[in-house]
Formats: sequence, structure tokens, C-alpha cells
Amino acid sequence: MNLDISGAKIFFQIPTGIPVLGDIIISETLVVSWIVMAIITGLCYFLTRDLKVENIGKRQAVAEMLVESVENLVRSNTGGTKFDWLIPFVAAVFSTSLVSNLISLTGLRSPTTDLSTEAAWASMVFVMITANKIKAGGILGYLKGFTTPIFVMTPFNILSEIATPVSMACRHFGNILSGVVINGLIYASLAVASSALFGLLPGLLGSVLSNIPILSVGLPAVLSVYFDWFTGVMQAFIFTMLTIMYIANAAEG
Amino acid sequence: MKTQELVTIIPWTFIAQILNLFIQIYFIKRFLFKPVHEILQKRQEKADAELKSARQAREEAETMKSEYESSMASARQEAAGIIDRAEKDAESRADKMIREAEAQAAAMKAKAESDIQQEKKKALNEVKDQIGGLVMDIAGKVVEKEISEEDHARLISEFIENAEVAS
Repeated sequence: MNLDISGAKIFFQIPTGIPVLGDIIISETLVVSWIVMAIITGLCYFLTRDLKVENIGKRQAVAEMLVESVENLVRSNTGGTKFDWLIPFVAAVFSTSLVSNLISLTGLRSPTTDLSTEAAWASMVFVMITANKIKAGGILGYLKGFTTPIFVMTPFNILSEIATPVSMACRHFGNILSGVVINGLIYASLAVASSALFGLLPGLLGSVLSNIPILSVGLPAVLSVYFDWFTGVMQAFIFTMLTIMYIANAAEG
Repeated sequence: MKTQELVTIIPWTFIAQILNLFIQIYFIKRFLFKPVHEILQKRQEKADAELKSARQAREEAETMKSEYESSMASARQEAAGIIDRAEKDAESRADKMIREAEAQAAAMKAKAESDIQQEKKKALNEVKDQIGGLVMDIAGKVVEKEISEEDHARLISEFIENAEVAS
């Protein structure tokens, strides 16, 4: 049995003729991203309908709890309200990452299995880190920071600076993709195993049952708790926490 | 259907995902943070207003209480004043009545005394008249006849008896 693990499906390709950027590709990644955005926005809209000052309903309680927990997360990790501008970004990254990771449960291909997505987010974080470093120490201070503690360290410092977004992107991407790959492998291997096992049965019964991947029921669901739920939530949280930490550290100079 | 490489960065997708994240930030701000912050603000304002009004009400109650107390005190004072005045009034009226009564009694006494004096004078005058009459009688009798010594004595004792009866 062949197992084909490939990238996102390409729905259509718009040729642009621009040398570096290449063609615009409307892929599964983008389409599912839009679905994810629609889900998040719809959820926000649903949660904040007819808000009340008193006698709040469950929906409003959830909405207020979400807002307050994001604010608390950012404020407790940066110490103070200096980084309140970061709160919407953190909320957007966390929710998008979380819903993208978990949307694979519905059978859609999650946008976070495409490195473009994580690279985009990590680049934004990198831009913010750099902007904050420059704001904290001035452009000269920022450049000078690369030569510490001694001048010889400069290439390593530049490398470590670039490694930050690369590691962030690859960590998230690798974890999610590995979950998809492993799930694919398990499904395939269980199908093979069940075909082999029930092929031992004699006659028609065996040939019918061997075509049904009976062993695929059960075990993948258990593994999915780890590879989809745990990894998905964990990676979203890690990416968010790293974003907050790096930017807070950058601003401290 | 064609698929892209498993591990690759497609520039347009990269750009699109950045834009998507910005749009998502805007939507989260617009549909979650803004309304929730508004409602939290409103709740804060309401709580503040209620606290303020409660404090105001307490202050009002305290001023009312002090007003009530002061008015109670003044009322008590007034009541005491009224009683005082009434007592004084009653006393002065009683004094006046006593004085009047005394004056009346004195007047009555004086009148009675003057009456007695008058009566006495009247009686004396009558006695005088009678004595005169008697003298005239005796004189007449003396003139009529020679008075013996016995007669004389008798006349005197008669006169004295009459005088005693008259007085």
C-alpha cells in the first residue's frame, strides 16, 4: 500500500510573471485559513452579542473571561500595562494557531502544516522584536548589541538573531506536520494490518473483511488526543508565550 | 490535483498569511475587545456611580439625623420654656388672685368697721336723745312739783336704770 504524504492541494494558480514572488497559488492553506478566520470572527461576534452590564449570560462571561485572560497573560509576563498594544496580536496569533491546529480534526488540512503560515507569523514577531530593540537602544545601540560581548561574536549574534524566528516557525510547523504524518502512517499501517489479519479468514468472509480497515477504529482516536489536541494546544501556547517573551525582552534592551 | 511541496515557503501565501493575521487582529479587536472593554467600562462607571450615590445618601441621612436631633433639642427647649412660662404665669395669677382677695377682705373689713362706727354713733345719738328726753321729762316733773328727797333719789336711780337700759 502506498502512503502519499504531500503538501497542501493547489486549487488554482494565477500566473503573475513577477520573478521572485512567482505565481499566486490559491492553495488549501489559504482557503482553510479563511475558514479559520471566519470561525474566529464569527465566534467573537457570537460571544459579544447583546452584552449587558448586569445579569450577564454565559456567553458574555466567556467573552469577558477570554479578554481578561489574554490581558492577564500579557501583563503578567511583561510586568505592567506597557505592552497592551501587543494584546490583540497575541490574541489573534493564539486563536488562529489554535483553531488552525484543531481544524485538522474535521478532516480539513490545517494551514499550520504549511511552512508559509508559520514563517509569516514568525516574521511578524521578528519585525516586532527588532523594532522594539531599536526603540529601546536606538539604531546604533541595536547594531552595537551584535558585537557583544566581544567583536568576534558578531556572526554568531546575527545567526542567533535570525535563528529566533526560524526556530519559532519550524518548531510550530514541525510539531503539527509530524502529527499529520504520524496519523497518516498509523492509518495506513493499521489498514494494512487489518487487511492482513482478516485476510487469514477463509473464503468470502475473509476477502470482504480484509477490505475494511477494522483495526483503524479506536487506536487513532486515542493517539489523536496527543497529536491533535495536546500538540495543537501546546504549540499555539508555546508560540504565543515565545512571542510575548521575546518582545518583552527586546524592549528591555 | 496538484499539490505543493511538503516543506516550502510560497511567497504569495506568505504575504497573504501576514495580511490574514492583520485582518484577524482587526476583527478580534473590533468584535471581541472593543465591545467587552466598552461593557467593562460601563460596569465600572455604574459601580462608581452607585458607590457615589450611596455615599451621598449616607451623607444626606447623616445631615437629616443631625437636623432632626437639633430640632428635637430645640423642641425640648421650647417645651421647657412653655412649661416655665406657664408656671410663672400661674404663679403670678395666683399671686394676683391672693392679693385681690386680700384687698377685698381688707375692704370688707374696713366697711364693716365703718358700719360698726356708724351704728355706734347712731346708738350714742339715740342715747343722747333719750337722755335729753329724760332730762326734759325729769325737769318737767321737777318743775311741776317739789321734789322730795325720796323722790330725788328715786328719780336718780330711775334715770340711771333708764340709762343702763338705753346703753
